[in-house]
Amino acid sequence: MILAVNVIMLIVVLAPVVVVIWMSFTPSATFILPVTDFSLRWYREAFSYPGFVDAFGLSFELAALAAVITVALSFLAAYGLVRYRPAGGEALKAFFTAPLLVSAVVFGIAMLQFVNRLGLYNQLGGLVLAHVVLVVPFAIRSLEVTLRAVPEELEWAAMILGRSRVGTLLRVTLPLCARGLITAFLFCFLLSFSEVTTTIFMTGPGLQTLPVRIYNYMSDRIDPTVAAVSALVVMVSLALVAALNLLGGLRRLTSQ
Amino acid sequence: MLARRIGAPALFVAPLVLVMVVGFVWPLVGVLVNSLHPNTPQGIDAGHWTVGNYARLADPFYGEILLRTLRISVAVTAITGMLAYPVALFASRLSARAQSLFLLAYISPWLINTVVKALGWTLLLRTNGMVNTLLRGLDVIAAPLKLMLNETGVIIALIPGHFMFVLLPLWVALSGLDPALSWAAGTLGARPSAVFWRVVFPITLPAFVAGLVINFIMNMTVFAIPVFLGGARNMVASMLAYQINLVQLDWPLGGALAVALLAFTLTLVWAGQRGAALLAAGKGLQP
Repeated sequence: MILAVNVIMLIVVLAPVVVVIWMSFTPSATFILPVTDFSLRWYREAFSYPGFVDAFGLSFELAALAAVITVALSFLAAYGLVRYRPAGGEALKAFFTAPLLVSAVVFGIAMLQFVNRLGLYNQLGGLVLAHVVLVVPFAIRSLEVTLRAVPEELEWAAMILGRSRVGTLLRVTLPLCARGLITAFLFCFLLSFSEVTTTIFMTGPGLQTLPVRIYNYMSDRIDPTVAAVSALVVMVSLALVAALNLLGGLRRLTSQ
Repeated sequence: MLARRIGAPALFVAPLVLVMVVGFVWPLVGVLVNSLHPNTPQGIDAGHWTVGNYARLADPFYGEILLRTLRISVAVTAITGMLAYPVALFASRLSARAQSLFLLAYISPWLINTVVKALGWTLLLRTNGMVNTLLRGLDVIAAPLKLMLNETGVIIALIPGHFMFVLLPLWVALSGLDPALSWAAGTLGARPSAVFWRVVFPITLPAFVAGLVINFIMNMTVFAIPVFLGGARNMVASMLAYQINLVQLDWPLGGALAVALLAFTLTLVWAGQRGAALLAAGKGLQP
């Protein structure tokens, strides 16, 4: 009984992703079942469609910017919280993780009205700000764990031997946290790269990330080209998940 | 020590606080303020204050949409609850190596964007889609089933979509369970079913409830899945929010909807946490 539920659930979880990849290799112009032949025709089609190529570039740039900014700011904040244990530290941590409690739709509406007021509508800057806020909760949690694992005695030793606080941070703490920083970066990148809902509310025709472009394309028609683009998105995401898994970042999610 | 001087931690924390105030607090306060101004053909009338936008949400047309959203969310969360427990139980009993593979199988699709998964579900569930083709090929059904562009399609696609929010906390709770507890109950004469219902289930209940609350909130505000699997005739709250904010451009009303959704979900989170704490306290256990 328990085994049956598990098998069914595993199929249900994996099926939508598997079917997109499978269908993207169809040689025909419609999704005629079953697909037995193999063709890269729709991948060529997808790469020659400028809308998708531009959107991929934008998504990549946005995810990289958002992840770098988030990891840098969150590392500094986590350092302040973990090493100094300031009064109100718990409240600050709650503040940094608060975006988890606000649904992407509500935040999207708020950001839409906000960027318009500031004249940031359809600007990369507005999107970067929104994505930073959305991924900060994940970065701050994981970097806090990373910093707690670095023995404070090592920093004391460096400072006793004459390094300044900042010098110690740069030459001792940062290298010791390298693995945690890379994990946080990849996770933030992946979350930003996959973000749909808030972004849809914030972007017009001029500035579309890849998920938003796929969304708009699908609203018009569903064909093997969009399946090929989606399959590419899946492959990029899976590569990031695999990298995270190798770094041990996924286990952290279940051991908190 | 110089570094322990008051103000040093502030320097480290300040940049992130600044970004969060500008990018998070300010937009949310702004949407609240907008929701309290009347809308005019010229835009938001910032000179006047009103609660009329909230009253407009009580319109029966909106009421029907919000009711449908609730109905779908309750169904998805209920089914998720029934499925997530056996899956978590199974997962927590696997070897460490099998557990990480199992986690990978669940987490990978979860981290892929929802539009791609909506495409996958469309290819599976539509009239000439994979499920119907398979069932007809096996002679299980004569005519294709209508599996999407209705609430059924939305519910089917949403169950795996937010499954992890229940599975993960439950998995952690079950993995952290001291095996001695079940063993002790067993030596005192409890049957396996009694061990589960009287010992294991009560201990994991707070984590289970917390996960279900988050799952429910996610279902209430999910966007891409209902657009493609439900269609325009099965509008839910998030599609209404899109319609009001980006098509009608009525930001005061859109703001009121955002604030109402936020207030509703935060109340649920609070109630869920209180409930979980009470459950834990009632059993004399720490959450």
